[in-house]
Amino acid sequence: MKKNIIRRLTQSLLLASPVALMVCRLDAAEFNFFGTNMPPLDFHGFLSQGFLDSSSYNYLTPNTKNGSTEFFEAGMNVSVNPFPRTRITAQGFLYDVGNVGNYQPFLDYASIEYTFNDYLGLRAGRVRRPGGIYNDIQDIDLARTFVLLPQGVYDARFRDFSCSLDGAEVFGDIPLSKAGALAYEAYVGYVHIGAGSGVVNEINNTSGGKATSFNPVFGAGEQLWWNTPVDGLRFGAAFGYVFNFDYDLTVPTGAPPPFPATVSLIAKTVVLTQQYSVEYLWKKWTFQAEYYDVQSSGNTTAPAGTTHSFSNQYSWYGSAAYRFNKWLEVGGYYNESYVSGAQAAASDASQKDAVLSFRFDPKPWWVFKVEGHYIRGTELLEDNAANPVRNDNGWFMLAVKTTFSF
Amino acid sequence: MKSLLLKTGLLIALLVAGAFSARALDGAVVIANFSVAINSLSADELKDIYTAKTKYWDNGQVIIIVVLPDKTDAALQQASGMEASQFKTFWLRLAFSGRGSQPKKADTAAALVALVASTKGAIALVPADAELPGVKKIEIE
Repeated sequence: MKKNIIRRLTQSLLLASPVALMVCRLDAAEFNFFGTNMPPLDFHGFLSQGFLDSSSYNYLTPNTKNGSTEFFEAGMNVSVNPFPRTRITAQGFLYDVGNVGNYQPFLDYASIEYTFNDYLGLRAGRVRRPGGIYNDIQDIDLARTFVLLPQGVYDARFRDFSCSLDGAEVFGDIPLSKAGALAYEAYVGYVHIGAGSGVVNEINNTSGGKATSFNPVFGAGEQLWWNTPVDGLRFGAAFGYVFNFDYDLTVPTGAPPPFPATVSLIAKTVVLTQQYSVEYLWKKWTFQAEYYDVQSSGNTTAPAGTTHSFSNQYSWYGSAAYRFNKWLEVGGYYNESYVSGAQAAASDASQKDAVLSFRFDPKPWWVFKVEGHYIRGTELLEDNAANPVRNDNGWFMLAVKTTFSF
Repeated sequence: MKSLLLKTGLLIALLVAGAFSARALDGAVVIANFSVAINSLSADELKDIYTAKTKYWDNGQVIIIVVLPDKTDAALQQASGMEASQFKTFWLRLAFSGRGSQPKKADTAAALVALVASTKGAIALVPADAELPGVKKIEIE
């Protein structure tokens, strides 16, 4: 097993090496394909390879207990300003986090944006969804101190549901005179759920069945940021609403013949989210805190009738990071996550994560991180098949990641 | 005599005002490509540019920020309210979420000035003692 990990890690690093050799001489790329009078295309990209090793559970991947390299992200984007106040941009992306992603490339975002003025702009296409400090950049390792964001708020396995949607958003910045400024984004659109997505894996894991035939999920929401008169201090509030989250679910009955082995259900779910954030950049310090609440309400219709279900998960974290110099930043956070209706003492009803992280920037195009987690509880483990026994309430996890970018 | 004194006083006042605005940013001045129509900015307007609140000049041309890492960090903090690493992270977040483009980088003051001179819509902070061929200086009010 260890040989397999070493082989996969070596393969990933060998893949990354030519990228690294290229980017050390390439600080972003700008190409003028159409002649000197046309606006140039601006290219950027990154490649991240991570390693997770846990003392007790297979968290985030099916093999974390033995060390896993199933933690990879790569993306490339292009942007151009072809007309006044207009911007066109797109990003291709592929990732692998355990059973999700599996290196399948897809269009992460592609949009056209027109900015009328500082107060109002419009963006349409496939857009990244705003939500708190990190939702729209949750899989960009470069843009944060930590290997893993607080998973109770930004679960890496659900990024295909939470990150982007096909629709439109309005955005702008409203000055408030001496009270600072209010930045806003409001979006509406559709999320297309695939059979292999993180959310589907979660439904299958929770129900013990198999979910299929998803309708495009309709989502709408907003993100407000109050940029206060104090330099570096801002407060945020985000609300999201998802409905039309309908799918067919086939679950085993556990009944012996002649009774049917499975039963087909129709599930309809509505999800409400709210998120409150504060961020303070003070000298070389970065302080952040967020609270996140998800309420899911659904009806499941079986041959025998319809049942209603409700669940509430909430999570919060506080973090601090200090940049010592160009190449070293140290940070930490504490995250608690709970699911409603369960006793706080039960390990499956909560998960608490204390983290210490070291970020090294040896070169402007190369980031290396080492991070330790001490975790109590197992609420976020999700994968029942990989974690059939959950009797260790205090366990450790090592997370290492390296990123090359241009 | 009175007229001479008045003129001298006015000249001294103008020199002081000019020196003050030219040194409004720690050891640096603001320069721009000649395609940029304005000749002055308020400190708030400069901050709006460096924090992506203002992305286009009045004529609709995109604002392209050019940075000189390490050499103008103090002035960058005054302009943006962020330390250099925080400024870099801020723009990385915009670039990789489809909401903006990363600033361009130059290794030397001469390279930065040349890049600004050749890039329509470009604006940059440059050490106050740098030679400035082909670019215009933007006064900070």
